[in-house]
This record gives sequence, C-alpha cells and structure tokens, in this order.
Amino acid sequence: MLLLSRRKGCRVVARNTVVRRTLSFYWLMLSPALLFLLAFLVVPFIMLIVLSFREVDSLLNVLPSYSLKNYTEIFTSASYLTTIRSTLGVAALTTVIVIIAAYPAAYLLVRTGSKGLRTFFYILLISPLLTSVVIRTFAWIVIMAQNGLLNEALLKLHLIDKPLSLLWSMKAVVIAYVQVMLPFAVLPIATSMGEIQPKLRQASMSLGAGRIRTFFKVTFPLTLPGLLSGAAIVFSLAAGSYITPLLVGGRLQPLLPLSIYQQAVQVFNMPFAAALSMTLLVLVAIVVGLISWISKRWEARLHD
Amino acid sequence: MTETTSHSQRSGTGKPRRRRKFSALTALIWIAGIIVYLFLISPILVIILSAFSPTEYPTFPPSSFSVRWFTAVFQNSDWWEALRVSLILLAIVTPLTVLLGTAAAYGLGRLKFRGREAIQSLMLSPLMIPQVVLGIALLYEFTSLGIINSLTGLVIGHMVVAFPYVVRVVSVSVIGLDPKLESASMSLGAGRWSTFRRVTLPLIKPGMIAGTVFSIVESFGEVSVSLFVSSPGNITIPVRIFSYIDQTFDPSVNAISVMFIAFAVIALIIIDKTVGLTKVM
Repeated sequence: MLLLSRRKGCRVVARNTVVRRTLSFYWLMLSPALLFLLAFLVVPFIMLIVLSFREVDSLLNVLPSYSLKNYTEIFTSASYLTTIRSTLGVAALTTVIVIIAAYPAAYLLVRTGSKGLRTFFYILLISPLLTSVVIRTFAWIVIMAQNGLLNEALLKLHLIDKPLSLLWSMKAVVIAYVQVMLPFAVLPIATSMGEIQPKLRQASMSLGAGRIRTFFKVTFPLTLPGLLSGAAIVFSLAAGSYITPLLVGGRLQPLLPLSIYQQAVQVFNMPFAAALSMTLLVLVAIVVGLISWISKRWEARLHD
Repeated sequence: MTETTSHSQRSGTGKPRRRRKFSALTALIWIAGIIVYLFLISPILVIILSAFSPTEYPTFPPSSFSVRWFTAVFQNSDWWEALRVSLILLAIVTPLTVLLGTAAAYGLGRLKFRGREAIQSLMLSPLMIPQVVLGIALLYEFTSLGIINSLTGLVIGHMVVAFPYVVRVVSVSVIGLDPKLESASMSLGAGRWSTFRRVTLPLIKPGMIAGTVFSIVESFGEVSVSLFVSSPGNITIPVRIFSYIDQTFDPSVNAISVMFIAFAVIALIIIDKTVGLTKVM
C-alpha cells in the first residue's frame, strides 16, 4: 500500500500531461457517437414533439400554426381513451405474467449443478433475442391458427370438439409478448438471485421459516431490484411494439402502437401520429420512471 | 451458550424436515421452470417442424419429410432480391456501427464526468424507446431531409437500432481491461494512437467480435424501423416476410425462418466463444 502510493507520487508530474492528452483522446472516441445520436435520435424526437402541435387541413397538409388540438382530440375521444387503457392493461398483464414465469426459470438457471444444463438454459434464453420478431410472430400464427398446431393437437386428443379461435385476439398478443419478453426478466432476476448468499436462506430456515416463507421474506425482497429492472424493460417493450400485435392480434386491436402505425402509414396524418407517439412515450416514461423510483427506494432500504 | 445449543439443536431437527419439503417443492419448481423453457423454445421448434412439412399447415406428429418450401424459396426471385438488399445493408451498417459503438463504449468506459450516466442512458435508449415511435420519428426526419426511400435512410435506421447492442457488449470488454496496461505502453514511449491500436484493440477484440455478431443479427432481422423508412425498391428479408405474413399466407416463409434460426445458432456460438453467453445481458 505504502509502496503503491509512493510510486504514484513520483509520477504525478509526468502523468499530468499524459492524463490531459488521454482525456481528450477519450472525448475524441466518444464524440462521433454523440454526434450520430444527436442527429438521428435527439433531433428526430424534437422534430416529432414540434410536429405533434401542428394541425392539418382537410387534405392532410401540415399547417404552419401550432395548437393543442391533437392532444385534446386524443384525451377527449372515448375510443382513444379506451385504446390508452387497453395498451397499458396489456403491457401490465404481460409484465405480471412474465415476472411470475421468470422466477422458476431463473431458479433453474441459478440452482442447476450441471454446467452443461446451465449453458443450455442460457441458449434457450438468448436465442429469442437473436431471432427476428417477424419469425417468432410467424411461429405463433402457425401454432394458434384455426387449423394450426395447437388446435390440431387438442382435437386429436379429444380435448375440444371444434377449433378454438385464438388468433386475432388480445390473448394471442399477450401469449406472443410473454414468449418474446421472458428473457428480459429471467436474466436480471437470475443475476440478483445468484448474488444472494446461501447463508441467508439457511439462517431463515434454521429459524423455523418454511421454504415458502423464506422465499417471500428473503429471496423475493433481495431479487426485487432484478425484478423491477426486468419489469421496466418488459413493460416498455410490450407497450411499444407494433409488429407482433399487427400480425397476431390484427389491425383492429385497440393498441396505441397500432393506431400510430395506421395514422402514419395509412391515414398519412403525421401530426396526429406524432401526438399519439408522444402520448405513448410519456405514458411509458411515467411507468418506467415509477418503477425505477421504487427500485431506488428499495435498494436504499436494503443497504441501510 | 444455551442459545448456541438451542440453535444447533433446531437446525439439527430442521434438517430432515427441510429435506422432505425440499423434494416436493423443488420438483414442482423444476416442472414449472421446464414448462417455461419449453414455452420459450416452442416457436423455434414449430418453425423447424413446419419448414420440413409437406402440407401448408404443419401436423403433429409430422407425417412426412419434404423440402418443397426450400425449393420454393430458391425459385422465387423476390427472396433473392430481398437477400441482395439485406446483404448490401449488412456490408455498410456492420462496420460503421461497430466502429462507432466500440469507440463510444471505450471513451465512455474511461471517462468519469457528471452526466456520464445520462449519456449512457441516451446510448442505450433505442433498446427501450417504443419501436413504433422510433420508426415514425426517423420517417419524419428523413422525409424532411429528402433521404426517405433511399438506402441511406435504411442504413441510418439500422445503425440506430444496432448501436446500443454494440455499445453494451464492447463495454463488457472495456470494463475488464486494466488501464495500467495502456499507461505502461505509453510510459514506454508509445503514442496514444499506437497504444490504442496495439494494446487496447487486441484486448477488447472479443467484445468487438460479439458486437459485430449482435450488429449483424439486429440489422439482418430488423423490421420495426425498416417498415417505416424502406421503399418498394429497398425491401429487406424481414420486411418481405412481414408483407408475406400480412397479405398472403406463404408457407415458404417457414423455410426462410429456418435459415434465420441456423444463422442465430452460429451467432450464439460466436458470442459464447468471445464474451460468453452469461455476459451479454
């Protein structure tokens, strides 16, 4: 320790110039990316915010005046309020199902003794991230269609008399979402589960708590930060995706991303699509902000 | 003293009871976990099953084996055209994104300043922003710039989407790199650039390879932003798949999907060999 600090002292002068040169080098490395993100992430968003306050004439030409008309239309129309509610509802439902399903999956990942099995679980978890969303969604169509795999299997097993209509419903959207988003919750929960010292659980159980009580009193509170960071990602992805609901839910589902897509691509009312986008973005930001606030409070409590 | 004995006694009597509960509950958790993993992999299994199925909708158990959908893909010029666009995009997007992302991950990893966290969030934000909002924002900007329907627009869109993945995996390597190695090189007289080239780059190479793989995978499978900024002349494979599913049900999509899955498996192996599967998330 002493040796280390003395060595540091000798080099301080020589180092100062090196440090300065090095710092500007790091900034030089960082700046192209910052410029890129400024041009193609920050600027387009500012443009979109500005656009959302514009109006259109009957031919959908953008007028130069600014107003709150788009927003008042969204928040006073019953159908858009329903859309907002069901968007948040579907995202919340997906998040809850994903979290519940993530616990046993994370448990297996953390507790399995065999290294090969752990790698296998990791492959299963990461492979959905590496396959395009159109392909995963296509698979769900094959599974859930009227003459699809699931109906065929159920008919053959005489569990049902006539095919269930699963496709083109919110149910289908939630099922497909859960599959796509599970890894985002399993991995952070598994990480925080792996950090729990076995001693803590042993202590709880040796004091007479059963395994279920130990889970709720020890494991769950300690994995809550992982759970919340997973929940934030899952919620924002579930509220903002449009490919999956479009293909397995159908164009008519009351979901904000679908409304935005239609306004932009089919109706060509860009200011209104922009206002809907901002509404979606703010709603997601509020929920994610709330989740990370809870997470920060909780971690502060844990470390006290 | 009495406390310790009572404690050890309790844990002594608790042990057999715990083991009994262990088996029943653990079995239940394992079954639940295995169901979750099966659910996770089911779409991929279904795709493989239906790609080799002779009928339009796959049957279970499979009745016979056929490669007719693969033949259908190879005979359809639409797929070849889409493949051409996708490959051109990959050739442009991948090196640019990896360069940009590596430099950013390195610079950010070494700098300590106020607002560093904010910049990091900005860099990773395309992962969290609703894709539909990202798509429409770029659509509007590109329309204003006059680069909508051009390859340039698609390139930029793909770069925005792939960039955070590169930053994330390269950061893993940067964190693991000891700055002392670089200062040693510089104190021995090597300049900043040659140190970066000869010391830093070789050491963060695994992260860069994994970043390249992620960039390729994201760009090759990208559809949410592409759908907004691509034109009929620039249709990538995923966008083509999307319109086939959306408009006509074409089972040759199955065969294409199997190729995508094979591609993902290769990607998995490379990621495992470079930064390791456990470190990508």
